[in-house]
Amino acid sequence: MALGSEIIFVIDLLAIFAVYVIVNLSLNMEFGYTGIPNFGKVLAVGAGAFVAASVPGRIFAGLAGIEGDYISENILIVSQINVWLVDNVGIGFAVFFLTLGVAAGVGGLLGLASSYPVIRLRGDYLAITLLAFGESIRIIGNNYTPLVGGTLGVQVPDPLAFLPDELRFTAATLGLVAIAIAVYVYSEKMIRSPLGRMLRAIRDNEVSAEALGKNPRDARIKVIMISAGIAAIGGALYAFYVGSTIAFAYDRASWTFWPFLMILIGGLANNKGVLVGTFIFVMLRKLIIFYKDAFEGIVPFDVIWLDFLLLGAILIAILLYRPQGIMVEKPTYTIPRKRKPPMLRRMLDLFR
Amino acid sequence: MAYDPIFSDAIIFASLLTLLSIGLTLTYITTRVPNFAHASFATIGMYVALVVTHVWGLVPYVAVPIAFVISGMVSLALYTFILKPLIRKGATQAIQMIATLAFDLVVIAMLNISADYIVRTTQISSREFTLRSYDLEFAGLPAIVIVAPLTIAILAVTLHTMLRKTRFGIAMRAATENSDLAETVGVNIKMVYSVSWILGGGFAGIAGAMISLWFEGDPNFGPLLIPSIFAASIVGGFLSIYGAIAGGILVGLTEVLGTRFLAGEFGAWLIAYRPLIPLIFIVITLFLAPKGLAGIRWSRLWRHGARV
Repeated sequence: MALGSEIIFVIDLLAIFAVYVIVNLSLNMEFGYTGIPNFGKVLAVGAGAFVAASVPGRIFAGLAGIEGDYISENILIVSQINVWLVDNVGIGFAVFFLTLGVAAGVGGLLGLASSYPVIRLRGDYLAITLLAFGESIRIIGNNYTPLVGGTLGVQVPDPLAFLPDELRFTAATLGLVAIAIAVYVYSEKMIRSPLGRMLRAIRDNEVSAEALGKNPRDARIKVIMISAGIAAIGGALYAFYVGSTIAFAYDRASWTFWPFLMILIGGLANNKGVLVGTFIFVMLRKLIIFYKDAFEGIVPFDVIWLDFLLLGAILIAILLYRPQGIMVEKPTYTIPRKRKPPMLRRMLDLFR
Repeated sequence: MAYDPIFSDAIIFASLLTLLSIGLTLTYITTRVPNFAHASFATIGMYVALVVTHVWGLVPYVAVPIAFVISGMVSLALYTFILKPLIRKGATQAIQMIATLAFDLVVIAMLNISADYIVRTTQISSREFTLRSYDLEFAGLPAIVIVAPLTIAILAVTLHTMLRKTRFGIAMRAATENSDLAETVGVNIKMVYSVSWILGGGFAGIAGAMISLWFEGDPNFGPLLIPSIFAASIVGGFLSIYGAIAGGILVGLTEVLGTRFLAGEFGAWLIAYRPLIPLIFIVITLFLAPKGLAGIRWSRLWRHGARV
């Protein structure tokens, strides 16, 4: 059974949507609910992808007893690993989840390292520092070959190698969607918790939050670390899904700028808005890429730049004319302390 | 001792950073929004230089005034059509910063479109190009090694004279110190800010036009430079032109010479970590002296030693 091109289109759309939902929810946690202008989102996403590209392959190669230099003979080694993984599904999944954990840890630590020096200073210093850290990771990944193969990139082993080709992408997409739903539920629960309430208090009036005995500095660092961890998981999942990592794919446009565009389209501080904004954006971009060939030849340049131009202009227009986005922030109700409704009801309430 | 080309690298890179950091500071003191599109204004200058030398066949230095005008106008457009309306609508600083990021993306897209267009119409390489061979020679050195620091010196002196001696400069300083009060005594704030943005963008254009004589030009040159420019400005304190000059020279020289020295000591693999140097500068400055070099009270430091 070969998949039709429409089905592949939808599956790929869903997968990219799920990855961006994970990243955008983490950004919304920071920027929407806490007011931290994290212009270095790419730092955490890239860190996750770099972990996925450098850690599991080496573990598998060690376990399977495959010799050779992991970077220079990468394609050969990873294809051997994928053959080996067909018979070792359990180990494959164990290492996969271990990688996600390591990615979250590395992301969280980088979040701490990049924000700790500036967290007590004014917002623009924080933004500049985070942006500078984010720009640097790509340059380092590009120049330092042992990490992710420099300008050539590396392949990422595929824990789903045991599935036939048609099922592989469907299964991967379902997995991504499941993790995205988990992140959504977690994020909704967090903003309804006392911590979430405190974050909004800090965003709206830092002085009064401080007067009530809250520590804005610690809360901000906590949020940056949590959200960097989530974004790193998103980056690692993306690397697994695509099956390769190359440093220059982790640039400011794809993983900082577009997430900002998506959450601003959908509406800041509104997770449902994030879903809407992400869907509109991913759909729009997919269609642009799909119909790109129609423009090729008409204009005397690569069409991809038209896409950049359009998206930049859209964002400027949104900022100028509808800064609150499609879905406006609504008051968030906290989860009642007593008489908890049944589990399923509570889950459904989160989507209401 | 033979002259090592690394010193040319260091001098030119430091001059470029200084010029960019002066420009960034000039725009920051007016609206207090860090302009993330600043580095791409320099890339505009690079393409002006490419067109002037390759297409028109002139001496590259002709590009300098043209780049000043074009980058200055782009910078003015960012202020007039995007930031000013946003400020009027009471947008937060974060929203203004996002707007400059969006503008950066638009500028980068335009630069790429121009690069493609130049290739298709004139068949010259417009990516990763270098204009080094078009430079003049002066006393056995490429002229840019002398022209770059000289330009900084001239611009710094001019700027100093303008800010301290002319009526306009005094109005400008007043407007950046306390805009409400300055407005009350009849300073046209909008005009002063506009001039500031033209100068800031224009300086970036000059830097770009000159830098293309030494380093490789590419539409995506801006994002590579951003950490260094902001490091230079933060080291300088972000609010003082003199601080920006000191920060640019310090960060620029350290980046080139420091990397070279460390790579010589520990091995060539360290070169890949050169982008960490601006980050280390930012972190150290924010820990020790968040107001930068310009915020340290040197006279007290001198008298009381470490007790300040």
